[in-house]
Amino acid sequence: MSETAASRCEVSFTVNGAARTVSVYPMERLLDVLRNSLGLTGAKEGCGEGECGSCSVLLNGELVNSCLVPVLQAQGAELCTIEGLTPDAGLHPVQQAFLTCGGAQCGICTPGMIMATVQLLRRHPTPTLEQVREGLGGNLCRCTGYTRIFHSVFEVAKTEAEKGGTVA
Amino acid sequence: MNALVGLEATPAGGVRVLVSSTDIGQGTNTILSQIAAEALGLEYDDVSMAPADTSTVPNSGPTVASRTAMIIGKIVHTAALKMRQTLTESGLLEPSAGREEFLAACQTYRQRFGELKCFSRYEAAPNIFWNDELYRGEAYPAYAWAVYIAEVTVDTNTYSVTIDDFVALQEIGKVLHPVLATGQIEGGVAQGIGFALYEKVVWNDGKMLNNQMTNYIMPTSEDLPPIRVFFEEMPYQYGPYGAKGIGELPMDGPAPAIVNAIVQATGTSFNAIPLLPEDIFRVLTAEPDRPAEDFFSALAAEGSQ
Repeated sequence: MSETAASRCEVSFTVNGAARTVSVYPMERLLDVLRNSLGLTGAKEGCGEGECGSCSVLLNGELVNSCLVPVLQAQGAELCTIEGLTPDAGLHPVQQAFLTCGGAQCGICTPGMIMATVQLLRRHPTPTLEQVREGLGGNLCRCTGYTRIFHSVFEVAKTEAEKGGTVA
Repeated sequence: MNALVGLEATPAGGVRVLVSSTDIGQGTNTILSQIAAEALGLEYDDVSMAPADTSTVPNSGPTVASRTAMIIGKIVHTAALKMRQTLTESGLLEPSAGREEFLAACQTYRQRFGELKCFSRYEAAPNIFWNDELYRGEAYPAYAWAVYIAEVTVDTNTYSVTIDDFVALQEIGKVLHPVLATGQIEGGVAQGIGFALYEKVVWNDGKMLNNQMTNYIMPTSEDLPPIRVFFEEMPYQYGPYGAKGIGELPMDGPAPAIVNAIVQATGTSFNAIPLLPEDIFRVLTAEPDRPAEDFFSALAAEGSQ
Protein backbone atom coordinates (compact mmCIF):
# COMPACT_ATOMS: atom_id res chain seq x y z
CA MET A 1 0.00 0.00 0.00
CA SER A 2 1.42 3.38 -0.99
CA GLU A 3 1.86 6.11 1.52
CA THR A 4 -0.83 8.15 -0.19
CA ALA A 5 -3.39 5.37 -0.10
CA ALA A 6 -2.55 4.71 3.53
CA SER A 7 -3.63 8.19 4.52
CA ARG A 8 -7.00 7.81 2.89
CA CYS A 9 -10.03 6.33 4.57
CA GLU A 10 -13.42 5.10 3.52
CA VAL A 11 -16.50 7.16 4.31
CA SER A 12 -20.04 5.96 3.67
CA PHE A 13 -23.16 8.07 3.44
CA THR A 14 -26.37 8.40 1.47
CA VAL A 15 -26.44 11.01 -1.29
CA ASN A 16 -29.77 11.84 -2.87
CA GLY A 17 -31.16 8.48 -1.79
CA ALA A 18 -28.24 6.34 -2.99
CA ALA A 19 -25.73 4.69 -0.63
CA ARG A 20 -22.19 5.75 -1.54
CA THR A 21 -18.76 4.89 -0.18
CA VAL A 22 -15.84 7.13 -1.09
CA SER A 23 -12.13 6.76 -0.50
CA VAL A 24 -11.03 10.17 0.73
CA TYR A 25 -8.61 12.13 2.85
CA PRO A 26 -10.45 12.62 6.14
CA MET A 27 -10.22 16.40 6.15
CA GLU A 28 -11.29 16.84 2.52
CA ARG A 29 -14.11 19.32 2.24
CA LEU A 30 -17.50 17.75 1.63
CA LEU A 31 -17.90 20.22 -1.27
CA ASP A 32 -14.84 18.81 -3.05
CA VAL A 33 -15.93 15.21 -2.50
CA LEU A 34 -19.40 15.96 -3.89
CA ARG A 35 -18.02 17.79 -6.92
CA ASN A 36 -14.82 15.87 -7.69
CA SER A 37 -15.38 12.32 -6.45
CA LEU A 38 -19.13 12.07 -7.05
CA GLY A 39 -19.53 14.42 -10.03
CA LEU A 40 -22.28 16.40 -8.30
CA THR A 41 -21.32 19.87 -9.53
CA GLY A 42 -24.57 21.61 -8.60
CA ALA A 43 -23.18 22.95 -5.32
CA LYS A 44 -20.86 25.84 -6.22
CA GLU A 45 -17.77 27.18 -4.52
CA GLY A 46 -18.21 30.91 -3.99
CA CYS A 47 -16.06 32.16 -1.12
CA GLY A 48 -14.83 28.87 0.34
CA GLU A 49 -15.08 30.29 3.85
CA GLY A 50 -18.71 29.81 4.85
CA GLU A 51 -19.93 33.32 4.05
CA CYS A 52 -21.78 33.06 0.75
CA GLY A 53 -23.83 29.84 0.94
CA SER A 54 -23.46 28.90 -2.74
CA CYS A 55 -22.22 25.44 -1.64
CA SER A 56 -25.31 24.81 0.55
CA VAL A 57 -26.50 21.21 0.84
CA LEU A 58 -28.74 19.43 3.32
CA LEU A 59 -26.95 17.17 5.83
CA ASN A 60 -29.46 15.13 7.84
CA GLY A 61 -32.01 17.76 6.86
CA GLU A 62 -29.93 20.70 8.09
CA LEU A 63 -28.66 23.37 5.72
CA VAL A 64 -24.85 23.40 5.80
CA ASN A 65 -22.06 25.12 3.90
CA SER A 66 -20.39 22.07 2.38
CA CYS A 67 -17.12 24.03 2.09
CA LEU A 68 -16.90 24.01 5.91
CA VAL A 69 -17.74 20.33 6.50
CA PRO A 70 -14.85 17.84 6.67
CA VAL A 71 -16.04 14.77 4.79
CA LEU A 72 -15.44 12.56 7.83
CA GLN A 73 -18.27 14.42 9.53
CA ALA A 74 -20.64 13.06 6.86
CA GLN A 75 -20.03 9.42 7.87
CA GLY A 76 -23.45 7.74 8.04
CA ALA A 77 -25.26 10.94 7.14
CA GLU A 78 -28.05 11.53 4.69
CA LEU A 79 -27.12 14.18 2.15
CA CYS A 80 -29.31 16.02 -0.31
CA THR A 81 -27.93 18.23 -3.07
CA ILE A 82 -29.66 20.27 -5.77
CA GLU A 83 -29.38 17.21 -8.06
CA GLY A 84 -31.40 15.16 -5.56
CA LEU A 85 -34.08 17.80 -5.45
CA THR A 86 -34.57 17.83 -9.21
CA PRO A 87 -37.08 15.24 -10.47
CA ASP A 88 -36.23 13.10 -13.51
CA ALA A 89 -38.67 15.11 -15.60
CA GLY A 90 -39.57 18.74 -15.07
CA LEU A 91 -38.60 20.87 -12.13
CA HIS A 92 -39.03 20.90 -8.37
CA PRO A 93 -41.73 23.43 -7.34
CA VAL A 94 -39.08 25.71 -5.83
CA GLN A 95 -37.04 25.61 -9.04
CA GLN A 96 -40.18 26.33 -11.07
CA ALA A 97 -41.01 29.33 -8.87
CA PHE A 98 -37.49 30.77 -9.28
CA LEU A 99 -37.89 30.40 -13.05
CA THR A 100 -41.36 31.95 -13.12
CA CYS A 101 -40.51 34.91 -10.87
CA GLY A 102 -37.03 35.70 -12.17
CA GLY A 103 -35.34 34.56 -8.95
CA ALA A 104 -32.10 33.76 -10.77
CA GLN A 105 -29.80 35.91 -12.88
CA CYS A 106 -26.20 34.69 -13.23
CA GLY A 107 -27.11 31.46 -11.44
CA ILE A 108 -24.09 30.91 -9.20
CA CYS A 109 -26.04 31.41 -5.96
CA THR A 110 -29.12 29.62 -7.29
CA PRO A 111 -28.48 25.97 -6.25
CA GLY A 112 -27.64 27.08 -2.71
CA MET A 113 -30.49 29.57 -2.63
CA ILE A 114 -32.94 26.86 -3.67
CA MET A 115 -31.64 24.46 -1.00
CA ALA A 116 -32.02 27.24 1.58
CA THR A 117 -35.56 27.90 0.35
CA VAL A 118 -36.47 24.23 0.67
CA GLN A 119 -35.23 24.16 4.25
CA LEU A 120 -36.92 27.47 5.04
CA LEU A 121 -40.27 26.19 3.75
CA ARG A 122 -39.96 22.97 5.74
CA ARG A 123 -39.64 25.09 8.89
CA HIS A 124 -42.16 27.75 7.83
CA PRO A 125 -44.54 26.51 5.11
CA THR A 126 -46.17 29.96 4.88
CA PRO A 127 -43.35 32.25 5.93
CA THR A 128 -43.49 35.95 6.77
CA LEU A 129 -41.14 38.36 4.99
CA GLU A 130 -38.97 38.49 8.11
CA GLN A 131 -38.73 34.68 8.17
CA VAL A 132 -37.74 34.66 4.50
CA ARG A 133 -35.08 37.34 5.05
CA GLU A 134 -33.69 35.42 8.03
CA GLY A 135 -33.93 32.02 6.33
CA LEU A 136 -31.96 33.19 3.27
CA GLY A 137 -29.60 35.44 5.25
CA GLY A 138 -26.67 33.03 4.82
CA ASN A 139 -26.96 32.93 1.03
CA LEU A 140 -25.51 35.91 -0.79
CA CYS A 141 -26.79 37.04 -4.19
CA ARG A 142 -25.03 39.78 -6.13
CA CYS A 143 -27.41 40.07 -9.09
CA THR A 144 -31.03 40.16 -7.98
CA GLY A 145 -31.16 42.40 -4.92
CA TYR A 146 -33.11 39.43 -3.44
CA THR A 147 -36.50 40.95 -4.32
CA ARG A 148 -37.33 38.42 -7.08
CA ILE A 149 -36.06 35.65 -4.79
CA PHE A 150 -38.53 36.74 -2.09
CA HIS A 151 -41.28 36.70 -4.75
CA SER A 152 -40.21 33.16 -5.73
CA VAL A 153 -40.42 31.94 -2.13
CA PHE A 154 -43.88 33.43 -1.62
CA GLU A 155 -45.01 32.07 -4.98
CA VAL A 156 -44.05 28.48 -4.14
CA ALA A 157 -45.45 28.79 -0.60
CA LYS A 158 -48.75 29.93 -2.09
CA THR A 159 -48.98 27.27 -4.81
CA GLU A 160 -48.02 24.48 -2.40
CA ALA A 161 -50.58 25.69 0.18
CA GLU A 162 -53.24 25.71 -2.54
CA LYS A 163 -52.30 22.15 -3.46
CA GLY A 164 -52.59 21.28 0.22
CA GLY A 165 -49.04 19.97 0.33
CA THR A 166 -45.72 21.04 1.75
CA VAL A 167 -42.37 21.40 0.05
CA ALA A 168 -40.69 18.02 0.25
CA MET B 1 -18.41 50.74 -32.66
CA ASN B 2 -17.95 47.92 -35.11
CA ALA B 3 -20.30 45.01 -34.55
CA LEU B 4 -21.52 42.17 -36.74
CA VAL B 5 -24.52 39.99 -35.96
CA GLY B 6 -25.81 36.89 -37.74
CA LEU B 7 -28.92 34.77 -37.94
CA GLU B 8 -29.05 31.29 -39.39
CA ALA B 9 -31.70 28.72 -40.20
CA THR B 10 -30.85 25.51 -38.32
CA PRO B 11 -31.16 21.93 -39.62
CA ALA B 12 -33.51 21.28 -36.66
CA GLY B 13 -36.02 23.67 -38.20
CA GLY B 14 -35.55 26.83 -36.14
CA VAL B 15 -33.48 29.98 -36.24
CA ARG B 16 -30.27 30.65 -34.34
CA VAL B 17 -28.85 34.03 -33.30
CA LEU B 18 -25.09 34.42 -33.83
CA VAL B 19 -23.54 37.01 -31.52
CA SER B 20 -20.48 37.17 -29.31
CA SER B 21 -22.37 39.33 -26.80
CA THR B 22 -22.37 37.23 -23.66
CA ASP B 23 -25.27 36.57 -21.31
CA ILE B 24 -23.80 36.74 -17.82
CA GLY B 25 -27.17 36.68 -16.11
CA GLN B 26 -28.57 39.96 -17.39
CA GLY B 27 -30.97 38.09 -19.67
CA THR B 28 -29.71 39.18 -23.09
CA ASN B 29 -30.14 35.68 -24.55
CA THR B 30 -33.82 35.99 -23.71
CA ILE B 31 -34.39 39.46 -25.12
CA LEU B 32 -32.31 38.89 -28.29
CA SER B 33 -34.38 35.74 -28.95
CA GLN B 34 -37.56 37.74 -28.32
CA ILE B 35 -36.45 40.43 -30.81
CA ALA B 36 -35.55 37.86 -33.48
CA ALA B 37 -38.82 35.94 -32.97
CA GLU B 38 -40.90 39.11 -33.14
CA ALA B 39 -39.17 40.41 -36.29
CA LEU B 40 -39.39 37.02 -38.06
CA GLY B 41 -43.00 36.32 -37.02
CA LEU B 42 -41.94 33.25 -35.02
CA GLU B 43 -42.63 31.84 -31.57
CA TYR B 44 -40.03 32.49 -28.88
CA ASP B 45 -39.19 28.77 -28.74
CA ASP B 46 -38.35 28.71 -32.46
CA VAL B 47 -35.26 30.84 -31.75
CA SER B 48 -32.09 29.67 -30.04
CA MET B 49 -28.78 31.31 -29.20
CA ALA B 50 -25.49 29.97 -30.54
CA PRO B 51 -22.86 29.60 -27.79
CA ALA B 52 -20.81 32.83 -27.64
CA ASP B 53 -17.76 31.12 -29.15
CA THR B 54 -15.97 33.40 -31.61
CA SER B 55 -14.87 30.45 -33.75
CA THR B 56 -18.52 30.13 -34.79
CA VAL B 57 -20.12 33.53 -34.14
CA PRO B 58 -19.18 36.94 -35.56
CA ASN B 59 -17.62 39.67 -33.44
CA SER B 60 -20.55 41.70 -32.16
CA GLY B 61 -18.26 43.72 -29.92
CA PRO B 62 -17.81 43.79 -26.19
CA THR B 63 -20.54 43.09 -23.65
CA VAL B 64 -20.22 46.50 -22.00
CA ALA B 65 -21.69 49.95 -21.59
CA SER B 66 -25.37 48.94 -21.46
CA ARG B 67 -25.14 48.42 -25.22
CA THR B 68 -26.44 44.89 -25.77
CA ALA B 69 -30.19 45.58 -25.76
CA MET B 70 -30.07 48.86 -27.69
CA ILE B 71 -27.17 48.26 -30.11
CA ILE B 72 -26.99 44.48 -30.58
CA GLY B 73 -30.76 44.14 -30.24
CA LYS B 74 -31.19 46.59 -33.11
CA ILE B 75 -28.72 44.69 -35.33
CA VAL B 76 -30.51 41.40 -34.55
CA HIS B 77 -33.67 43.16 -35.69
CA THR B 78 -32.15 44.32 -39.00
CA ALA B 79 -30.58 40.87 -39.59
CA ALA B 80 -34.03 39.34 -39.11
CA LEU B 81 -35.54 41.73 -41.66
CA LYS B 82 -32.73 40.78 -44.09
CA MET B 83 -33.49 37.11 -43.56
CA ARG B 84 -37.13 37.60 -44.49
CA GLN B 85 -36.04 39.74 -47.44
CA THR B 86 -33.61 37.04 -48.65
CA LEU B 87 -36.42 34.48 -48.66
CA THR B 88 -38.93 36.75 -50.39
CA GLU B 89 -36.40 37.80 -53.04
CA SER B 90 -35.59 34.16 -53.78
CA GLY B 91 -39.29 33.61 -54.43
CA LEU B 92 -39.69 31.14 -51.56
CA LEU B 93 -41.79 33.36 -49.29
CA GLU B 94 -44.73 35.70 -49.70
CA PRO B 95 -44.11 38.97 -47.85
CA SER B 96 -47.24 38.43 -45.74
CA ALA B 97 -46.48 34.77 -44.93
CA GLY B 98 -46.76 33.52 -41.35
CA ARG B 99 -44.70 31.30 -39.08
CA GLU B 100 -45.21 27.88 -40.74
CA GLU B 101 -44.55 29.22 -44.24
CA PHE B 102 -41.44 31.03 -43.02
CA LEU B 103 -39.97 27.93 -41.34
CA ALA B 104 -40.78 25.80 -44.39
CA ALA B 105 -39.15 28.39 -46.69
CA CYS B 106 -35.99 28.32 -44.51
CA GLN B 107 -35.70 24.56 -45.03
CA THR B 108 -36.33 24.80 -48.77
CA TYR B 109 -33.64 27.50 -49.01
CA ARG B 110 -31.20 25.32 -47.08
CA GLN B 111 -31.86 22.32 -49.35
CA ARG B 112 -31.37 24.46 -52.43
CA PHE B 113 -28.39 26.62 -51.41
CA GLY B 114 -26.73 24.71 -48.54
CA GLU B 115 -27.26 27.24 -45.78
CA LEU B 116 -29.25 30.32 -44.88
CA LYS B 117 -27.24 32.86 -42.94
CA CYS B 118 -27.85 36.59 -42.84
CA PHE B 119 -25.54 39.17 -41.31
CA SER B 120 -26.07 42.74 -40.34
CA ARG B 121 -23.50 45.34 -39.29
CA TYR B 122 -23.82 48.20 -36.84
CA GLU B 123 -24.66 51.53 -38.37
CA ALA B 124 -24.50 54.63 -36.22
CA ALA B 125 -27.71 56.56 -35.74
CA PRO B 126 -27.70 59.61 -38.05
CA ASN B 127 -27.33 62.16 -35.25
CA ILE B 128 -23.98 60.99 -33.83
CA PHE B 129 -20.37 60.72 -34.97
CA TRP B 130 -17.89 58.15 -33.69
CA ASN B 131 -14.30 57.70 -34.88
CA ASP B 132 -13.34 54.03 -34.57
CA GLU B 133 -9.64 54.75 -35.29
CA LEU B 134 -9.20 57.41 -32.62
CA TYR B 135 -11.87 55.78 -30.44
CA ARG B 136 -13.39 59.19 -29.87
CA GLY B 137 -16.76 60.76 -30.39
CA GLU B 138 -20.26 59.87 -29.38
CA ALA B 139 -20.39 56.14 -28.77
CA TYR B 140 -24.12 56.02 -28.22
CA PRO B 141 -27.00 58.08 -29.48
CA ALA B 142 -29.28 57.80 -26.46
CA TYR B 143 -29.19 56.89 -22.80
CA ALA B 144 -31.61 55.76 -20.13
CA TRP B 145 -32.84 58.22 -17.52
CA ALA B 146 -33.84 57.61 -13.94
CA VAL B 147 -34.92 59.09 -10.64
CA TYR B 148 -33.91 57.39 -7.39
CA ILE B 149 -35.45 58.18 -4.03
CA ALA B 150 -34.18 56.85 -0.70
CA GLU B 151 -35.84 57.21 2.67
CA VAL B 152 -33.39 56.62 5.51
CA THR B 153 -33.19 56.56 9.28
CA VAL B 154 -29.91 57.50 10.98
CA ASP B 155 -29.57 56.07 14.49
CA THR B 156 -27.92 58.78 16.57
CA ASN B 157 -26.74 56.27 19.17
CA THR B 158 -25.10 53.71 16.89
CA TYR B 159 -24.56 56.00 13.86
CA SER B 160 -25.88 53.25 11.59
CA VAL B 161 -28.14 53.97 8.63
CA THR B 162 -31.24 52.00 7.76
CA ILE B 163 -32.86 52.45 4.36
CA ASP B 164 -36.60 52.28 4.98
CA ASP B 165 -37.82 52.57 1.42
CA PHE B 166 -36.29 52.87 -2.03
CA VAL B 167 -37.99 53.88 -5.25
CA ALA B 168 -36.48 53.69 -8.74
CA LEU B 169 -38.22 55.31 -11.67
CA GLN B 170 -36.54 54.27 -14.90
CA GLU B 171 -37.01 55.50 -18.45
CA ILE B 172 -35.50 52.89 -20.79
CA GLY B 173 -37.34 53.53 -24.04
CA LYS B 174 -39.27 50.28 -24.19
CA VAL B 175 -39.32 47.49 -21.60
CA LEU B 176 -38.59 44.32 -23.58
CA HIS B 177 -39.10 41.87 -20.71
CA PRO B 178 -40.74 43.26 -17.57
CA VAL B 179 -39.52 40.57 -15.14
CA LEU B 180 -35.91 40.68 -16.32
CA ALA B 181 -35.85 44.47 -16.60
CA THR B 182 -37.22 44.89 -13.07
CA GLY B 183 -34.72 42.31 -11.79
CA GLN B 184 -31.82 44.15 -13.44
CA ILE B 185 -32.81 47.39 -11.75
CA GLU B 186 -33.44 45.82 -8.33
CA GLY B 187 -30.06 44.11 -8.48
CA GLY B 188 -28.29 47.29 -9.57
CA VAL B 189 -29.93 49.25 -6.77
CA ALA B 190 -28.84 46.57 -4.26
CA GLN B 191 -25.25 46.96 -5.46
CA GLY B 192 -25.63 50.73 -5.21
CA ILE B 193 -26.80 50.35 -1.60
CA GLY B 194 -23.73 48.24 -0.85
CA PHE B 195 -21.62 50.94 -2.52
CA ALA B 196 -23.24 53.61 -0.30
CA LEU B 197 -23.31 51.88 3.09
CA TYR B 198 -21.25 48.69 3.33
CA GLU B 199 -18.59 47.90 0.77
CA LYS B 200 -15.40 49.56 1.94
CA VAL B 201 -12.16 48.55 0.27
CA VAL B 202 -9.25 48.90 2.70
CA TRP B 203 -5.91 49.37 0.94
CA ASN B 204 -2.49 48.80 2.36
CA ASP B 205 0.61 49.32 0.25
CA GLY B 206 -1.31 48.70 -2.97
CA LYS B 207 -3.03 45.57 -1.71
CA MET B 208 -6.62 45.07 -0.62
CA LEU B 209 -6.57 44.16 3.07
CA ASN B 210 -10.16 42.97 3.36
CA ASN B 211 -10.35 40.74 0.30
CA GLN B 212 -12.68 38.16 1.83
CA MET B 213 -16.46 37.94 2.07
CA THR B 214 -15.85 37.86 5.85
CA ASN B 215 -14.54 41.40 6.01
CA TYR B 216 -15.72 42.98 2.75
CA ILE B 217 -19.40 43.22 3.57
CA MET B 218 -22.06 43.19 0.86
CA PRO B 219 -25.81 43.38 1.50
CA THR B 220 -27.58 40.19 2.53
CA SER B 221 -31.29 39.44 2.30
CA GLU B 222 -31.63 40.94 5.77
CA ASP B 223 -30.08 44.31 4.89
CA LEU B 224 -32.08 45.59 1.95
CA PRO B 225 -35.19 47.75 1.94
CA PRO B 226 -38.12 47.13 -0.36
CA ILE B 227 -36.85 48.23 -3.80
CA ARG B 228 -39.81 49.53 -5.75
CA VAL B 229 -39.28 49.83 -9.50
CA PHE B 230 -41.39 51.84 -11.91
CA PHE B 231 -40.99 52.34 -15.63
CA GLU B 232 -41.59 55.23 -17.94
CA GLU B 233 -41.55 54.34 -21.63
CA MET B 234 -40.57 56.77 -24.38
CA PRO B 235 -39.70 54.52 -27.35
CA TYR B 236 -36.36 55.43 -28.91
CA GLN B 237 -36.54 55.29 -32.68
CA TYR B 238 -33.12 53.66 -33.28
CA GLY B 239 -33.48 50.99 -30.57
CA PRO B 240 -35.14 47.59 -31.15
CA TYR B 241 -38.86 48.18 -30.68
CA GLY B 242 -37.84 51.40 -28.94
CA ALA B 243 -35.55 49.88 -26.28
CA LYS B 244 -32.53 51.62 -24.75
CA GLY B 245 -29.78 50.28 -22.44
CA ILE B 246 -30.50 49.34 -18.86
CA GLY B 247 -27.50 47.76 -17.12
CA GLU B 248 -25.39 50.45 -15.50
CA LEU B 249 -27.67 53.28 -14.51
CA PRO B 250 -29.23 51.48 -11.50
CA MET B 251 -25.75 51.33 -9.93
CA ASP B 252 -24.99 55.01 -10.51
CA GLY B 253 -27.84 56.81 -8.84
CA PRO B 254 -28.65 55.04 -5.55
CA ALA B 255 -25.53 56.04 -3.57
CA PRO B 256 -26.01 59.79 -4.25
CA ALA B 257 -29.70 59.47 -3.31
CA ILE B 258 -28.82 57.70 -0.06
CA VAL B 259 -26.06 60.19 0.86
CA ASN B 260 -28.41 63.11 0.16
CA ALA B 261 -30.99 61.54 2.46
CA ILE B 262 -28.33 61.14 5.18
CA VAL B 263 -27.31 64.78 4.68
CA GLN B 264 -30.92 65.84 5.07
CA ALA B 265 -31.38 63.68 8.18
CA THR B 266 -28.21 64.84 9.93
CA GLY B 267 -27.81 68.37 8.61
CA THR B 268 -24.18 67.53 7.90
CA SER B 269 -22.51 67.00 4.56
CA PHE B 270 -20.46 63.92 3.72
CA ASN B 271 -17.89 63.76 0.94
CA ALA B 272 -17.08 60.04 0.72
CA ILE B 273 -18.74 56.66 0.49
CA PRO B 274 -19.30 54.08 1.84
CA LEU B 275 -20.72 55.58 5.01
CA LEU B 276 -20.21 52.94 7.69
CA PRO B 277 -21.29 53.83 11.25
CA GLU B 278 -17.69 54.72 12.16
CA ASP B 279 -17.49 57.11 9.19
CA ILE B 280 -20.67 58.90 10.20
CA PHE B 281 -19.49 58.96 13.84
CA ARG B 282 -16.18 60.58 12.84
CA VAL B 283 -17.86 63.32 10.83
CA LEU B 284 -20.64 64.05 13.33
CA THR B 285 -18.30 64.15 16.35
CA ALA B 286 -15.27 65.77 14.70
CA GLU B 287 -13.86 68.88 16.31
CA PRO B 288 -13.83 71.59 13.66
CA ASP B 289 -10.10 72.40 14.01
CA ARG B 290 -8.96 68.80 14.33
CA PRO B 291 -10.00 66.67 11.33
CA ALA B 292 -10.79 63.09 12.31
CA GLU B 293 -8.32 61.72 9.76
CA ASP B 294 -5.45 63.40 11.67
CA PHE B 295 -6.40 61.94 15.02
CA PHE B 296 -3.57 59.43 15.18
CA SER B 297 -0.91 61.83 13.90
CA ALA B 298 -2.17 64.36 16.45
CA LEU B 299 -1.79 61.72 19.17
CA ALA B 300 1.72 60.93 17.99
CA ALA B 301 2.59 64.63 17.99
CA GLU B 302 1.30 65.03 21.56
CA GLY B 303 3.33 61.99 22.66
CA SER B 304 6.56 63.43 21.22
CA GLN B 305 6.22 66.71 23.09
